[in-house]
Amino acid sequence: MRSKLTKNAIFEADNSLEVSLREAFQLLEPQLRPPFPLKLPTQEDYFNLNKAILCEILCEPHVARVHIKHLHAIVTDGYTYFISMLIKIVNELYAKLVDSVKTQLIWVTREMVNVLGVGFDGLLVALLRQIVGGDFSGGNLWLCFEMVSLFRDKWDCLLEDEPLVLTSALYVFLRLLADHCRLPNDSKVETLKRLEIDFCIRMLREKFGLCLKIGRDLVRLLQDLVHVPEFCSIWKDLLLNPSVFQTDAFLDIPQLYLSRTSSRYFLLRITPEMENQLRFLLTHVKLGNQKRYQVWFAKKFLGFPERETLLSDIVRFICCGHHPPNEIIQSDIIPRWAVIGWLLKSSQRNYVEANVKLALFYDWLFFDEKVDNIMNIEPGILLMINSIPSYVDITRTLLEFLLMLVENYDIERKDVIVKGVSSAFTFLVRKGVVQSLDALTCSDVISPFLKQLFEKIFKDMLASLSERAVASLPLKPISAPS
Amino acid sequence: MQSLKDIVPAAENNINARFILLEKGKATVEGQKKTCLALVADETAAVHFELWGEECDAFEGGDILSLRNGIFSYNRNNNLVLRAGKRGQVQKVGEFSMAFVETPNMSEIRWLPPPHNSSTAAANAYVQDAVVSPHSRIFPPI
Repeated sequence: MRSKLTKNAIFEADNSLEVSLREAFQLLEPQLRPPFPLKLPTQEDYFNLNKAILCEILCEPHVARVHIKHLHAIVTDGYTYFISMLIKIVNELYAKLVDSVKTQLIWVTREMVNVLGVGFDGLLVALLRQIVGGDFSGGNLWLCFEMVSLFRDKWDCLLEDEPLVLTSALYVFLRLLADHCRLPNDSKVETLKRLEIDFCIRMLREKFGLCLKIGRDLVRLLQDLVHVPEFCSIWKDLLLNPSVFQTDAFLDIPQLYLSRTSSRYFLLRITPEMENQLRFLLTHVKLGNQKRYQVWFAKKFLGFPERETLLSDIVRFICCGHHPPNEIIQSDIIPRWAVIGWLLKSSQRNYVEANVKLALFYDWLFFDEKVDNIMNIEPGILLMINSIPSYVDITRTLLEFLLMLVENYDIERKDVIVKGVSSAFTFLVRKGVVQSLDALTCSDVISPFLKQLFEKIFKDMLASLSERAVASLPLKPISAPS
Repeated sequence: MQSLKDIVPAAENNINARFILLEKGKATVEGQKKTCLALVADETAAVHFELWGEECDAFEGGDILSLRNGIFSYNRNNNLVLRAGKRGQVQKVGEFSMAFVETPNMSEIRWLPPPHNSSTAAANAYVQDAVVSPHSRIFPPI
């Protein structure tokens, strides 16, 4: 390993992972030249040999083919260790890697798919997470291009061996397309967009059963693409002609509405570094102490106007992917609703703000206590209620948005949505997340128009809630899911 | 590793600590020497840190730094600052994920010099006299 893996700045401590790879290389360098020793290595030597070979493959492209053959010859664990090291490199070092190392990383990833190495799906997911939303720099678009090409080239093999990784890729590329379609036309972006569209359309047209696994957020993502002709036609078929998808399991759109999206999809649009920082904020930082952390987070991840589109992904992650335990909820650590309030206020563009609000309320629209998690809807109600004293504008804009969603989100199936939002409100009151909805329905700071609309839409729910209040059940504190 | 609350001014390179950089001031150049004052903190205390030369541009707010053999003493302007000094070293070891407090600020404490003629080492150390400000007056909390 003569060249470096990472662009290490001066005054930056060496990364322990890179150091351990380099040490393994230095230890075993003589064994990396033919003729390769034939004797079986000990377990420790085996791991070191894996690391040494990995180093050479990543840092010395001209001899990578020799080393990959060596790897194929010595491997005894189905590439488990080799791939686990690759995943560590992607998760911990990707952003710092030298460009030629990134190229090699994609090359060796393709090799691992070719040999169906154990855990290659995890490696693909790790790489997908490194594509940064709202980042249109050359390096980031290059990674998009490499990944979508890989999914196209290895389609059959992935379909047969790890079909769910195709579902993950669909989620990522649908989301990225929404951003890429807003970019000004240039030939490079056009090529990339074409590949992304082709991949997504192929999934939707040929493997709809796999697409269904995403759940309701598939609808949310498709809506952002309705202006693209290919997706417009998908959309029409979903509404008018669901049988063309030739999936017995799919009857109609409400069926998708009612299936909750797993949090692993939301993680796909957050880099591990973002995830770590958000989790740290929500686990260790006290309310009132968060400002400096927010400044740093915003500078690093939201520093350019285009990055704003990340906000909705972050809000989906906080609502559905980060559920603090009761000790944190009852402590003075900054709650999720306060972080979401800050994110909401950071958006400058109307369509971004609308998407952030939709992200916040999306599970409300189809809430069913049997399949949905109260923790996914908790931030929405707490943000509305707790903003009343100092930030009543947030309460008003959120409540108005929610009521408009109920009225307009899907006019044909308004009954489904009224039912979902009513169930959400009722469940939040019943579980004691809020004592009552009086703050929204009776407060002077909420406009009479909104209050009337609320009462009109949720007449039945309000009646049943007031009956319940009369029965005055004891209120239980909210409990986190086990 | 020492907690920042335990550091005491001394003319020695004896501080080993880990802290997060909260804020950086403007760099100033005097002759060949470029310096930049910054606020750093750990879970126990904050202190003013003087960045020198290339250090001034190498670090940003949110960086977690590790200091080896640093020195906590009065600089030329008679301000009490922590710095790496010629014999110490400061390195970036992480970002963001570290809790901190801004009070007390060890640079905003008035210290009494050791009395002359003390025989024991402990009696040779500076002692805290009074708190000038609970937090940095140069970088107030935001």
